[in-house]
Amino acid sequence: MTVPLLEMRNIETYYGPIMAIRGVSLAVDEGEIVAVLGANGAGKTTLLKTATGALDSNKGQVLLDGREIQCRDPDWVARQGIAHVPEGREVFPFLTVAENLAMGAYNRRDKAAVKSDLETVYDYFPALRNLREKMAAYLSGGQQQMLAIGRGFMARPRLLLLDEPSLGLSPVLVQEIFAIVTRLNKEQGLTILLVEQNARVALTVSQRGYVMEVGGMVMDGPSDKLLDSEDIKEFYLGKKDEGVRGRRRWKKRKTWR
Amino acid sequence: MPDKTIAIDGCDTLPKLFLRKSAERGDRIAMREKDFGIWQSYSWDDYRERALEIAHGLLSLGLQRGDVVSIQSEDCREWLWADVGAMLAGGVVNGIYPTYQTRQVEHALSDSSCRFLFVEDEEQLDKYLEIATALPNIEKVYVFDWRGLRGFEHDKVAPIERLYEIGDRFGRDNSGLIGKIVADGSGDDLAALVYTSGTTGLPKGAMLSQRYILFQMQLAPDYLRQSADDELLTYLPLCHIAERIFSGWLPLAHGATINFAESPETVMQNLQEVSPTYIFAVPRVWEKFYSRVTTAMSEATWLGRKAYELALAIGRRRAGKLERQVSLTVIDRLLFAIADRAVFRNIKRVLGLDRAEKAATAAAPISPDLLRWFLAMGIEIDELWGQTEIGIVTSTQQEVFRFGKVGLPFPGTDVRIDDNGEIVARSDGQFDGYLNLRDKTAETIVGGWIRTGDVGEIDEEGYLSITDRLKDIIITAGGKNITPSVMENELKFSPYISDAVIIGDRRKYLSCLIMIDQENVEHFAQTHSVPFTDYRSLCARPEIVELINKEVTRVNQGFSGVEQVKKFRLIDVLLTAEDEELTPTMKLKRSFVSEKYGELIEAMYAS
Repeated sequence: MTVPLLEMRNIETYYGPIMAIRGVSLAVDEGEIVAVLGANGAGKTTLLKTATGALDSNKGQVLLDGREIQCRDPDWVARQGIAHVPEGREVFPFLTVAENLAMGAYNRRDKAAVKSDLETVYDYFPALRNLREKMAAYLSGGQQQMLAIGRGFMARPRLLLLDEPSLGLSPVLVQEIFAIVTRLNKEQGLTILLVEQNARVALTVSQRGYVMEVGGMVMDGPSDKLLDSEDIKEFYLGKKDEGVRGRRRWKKRKTWR
Repeated sequence: MPDKTIAIDGCDTLPKLFLRKSAERGDRIAMREKDFGIWQSYSWDDYRERALEIAHGLLSLGLQRGDVVSIQSEDCREWLWADVGAMLAGGVVNGIYPTYQTRQVEHALSDSSCRFLFVEDEEQLDKYLEIATALPNIEKVYVFDWRGLRGFEHDKVAPIERLYEIGDRFGRDNSGLIGKIVADGSGDDLAALVYTSGTTGLPKGAMLSQRYILFQMQLAPDYLRQSADDELLTYLPLCHIAERIFSGWLPLAHGATINFAESPETVMQNLQEVSPTYIFAVPRVWEKFYSRVTTAMSEATWLGRKAYELALAIGRRRAGKLERQVSLTVIDRLLFAIADRAVFRNIKRVLGLDRAEKAATAAAPISPDLLRWFLAMGIEIDELWGQTEIGIVTSTQQEVFRFGKVGLPFPGTDVRIDDNGEIVARSDGQFDGYLNLRDKTAETIVGGWIRTGDVGEIDEEGYLSITDRLKDIIITAGGKNITPSVMENELKFSPYISDAVIIGDRRKYLSCLIMIDQENVEHFAQTHSVPFTDYRSLCARPEIVELINKEVTRVNQGFSGVEQVKKFRLIDVLLTAEDEELTPTMKLKRSFVSEKYGELIEAMYAS
């Protein structure tokens, strides 16, 4: 059996006395896009923050290439090859686009490669090329999201964590960004762990998916299987199961089968 | 045949008794229910007012004596208001499990020729709407909770508030009508239909008379220890005869206060909030208490664990003496008082059992070891035995401990063992037969005695013990008779096993399907770093299979060679009360499970 690139085992993370994640396990293989779905407060972001060491888990292991990396400093984790594109983009507002991208490569010494990667980013996100010297704060939401992903890529990570890239973006932009994410995965071999609320797009681009609810995993499987599951259709894809009254029922039970 | 009049305070029907008792009790609290997270109280006056409005409303719609009114809802205050309201008007109440699938609802509604239907909410209403055209008998449907239905129009469907208004108006114009209808009633009147879960075929509607109800009512407080000052938690479906007796009829007769659990998932939390003084629970719940404590102790501090073990040793010593009828010494009492104060009281408080002076179990067999553990903590659980067709028939006596036996028959009931080992029983308040099923009735009531379908023994002191269900007895290929429930109970005593079904009829050896206890097994997986994602993957982990294997091996040690379970499989689907594999009280249905998991079972016998 090959060792997964990233593996999380029995993770429990607390915010003070509150258990935000209760016993979550997942695995991401090299070259995959893996999606984690879940409603607000399900613990998805906490999961990513635990993976990068921004939060320390109280129990469980995070393994990169089979090596334990839990509870280490985030900068150390970043140097091991995990880049985190945070929720809400979080670009450096007073730096230019080019400076933001340079920040992504902060830890790298291979100047020539950095330079060619910068070109790669501009190739994938042509909009950024023209905005190179602009302050990031002046960028639109979609441009900032591209910048955040580009900055993550500049670290040349082995694994990119993407936290809700579709947040607050128009449907067209979401399509555009996810098309680029898919290309980065295919053409650059970038492994991606994607956290999303937009289940349809997340399950379309990913190979496998996990569903989180109130801090625990309730379902996992190949993305096409998940797309077919009744509960996913009902609660994440908004399938209009009109029933006898010609209206959706507001109260329904989930079984996750 | 039973023809004795049974009366409480001169009332021989529930409606007569209700009018009298509700007037006496006035603004005393009858029930509490949570609304937006806050417990709200409803007095006997409220109960009476609503029940009368419903009764008047139904009368104004043309309800005749003997017409069937169905209630399809989770437990809530309206359930009991509609129950009593329909009976006041002379109706017969049919409770329908809210977990029923549409097909089962259709059977219960058409078989009973139901005229009026009460449903809880849109979810339950949808089941009716799907089959509305097949049910022309139903004239009106009232919805307790109209949320999600604003703007919905249907000529037969209306919110319950509409019925209150109609009833209120009709009542003012026709004062004295209800009084007359109620006075005309008698103990012979049909009062309720209770559909028995029916592990094979469609459910059968047991017909219960007013006498049946009154008979159960008069068992308290002497034989069923519920009285006026008690606080209860209502959480089993009220359609189930046990909860109907304990939360509906006994409080009506004797004045205890009931508290509705918010949902089946919040029972443990609600118990803590309410801390009932009288607890009726099915074995599954008692097992849950035990496994909670066991799990909590496994991660307690060294000191905490030692204190628990010491207290339990003291408790067990005392319990042993009580069981052997040896009188307690001053030292015993003193030690127990210390153990109770230092340890048990805290445990009981966390479980919501700190005020539980009286407790009872029924509806399924319970492990004697479990009863001993509770007695060690100072909680004496009465074991009761009965069934829908006959009501509660036996109970253990206070301070007499015969664990594994279900006690002595009540006055007014008789129990004997038939030649084939089956328990037959009769009662002054037994059922009147199955609706529309003359043959089944004739098979069940023979010469005035009811064939219970249970196999058991009566000892020289008259104590009844239950061996198993007659049809569940396994005869192996080797010709050995095996009663699976004994072993299943031992398995369920494990904190990691929620339910088990033993298989082996006409087979070489015994095997077993096991449903794990999700909470405790997940906890085990967490503490032992066994990674899993969902329920299915948890069941598939070799560590978990090994954990259950250990439990099975442990239980096997107490049984002889042929009685040992050779193989087992875990049911890897998380079952809910909506699934047909489970009864409404969350027991696995043997026949259904053996059929549904046929492949899994065959795999255990494939060489």
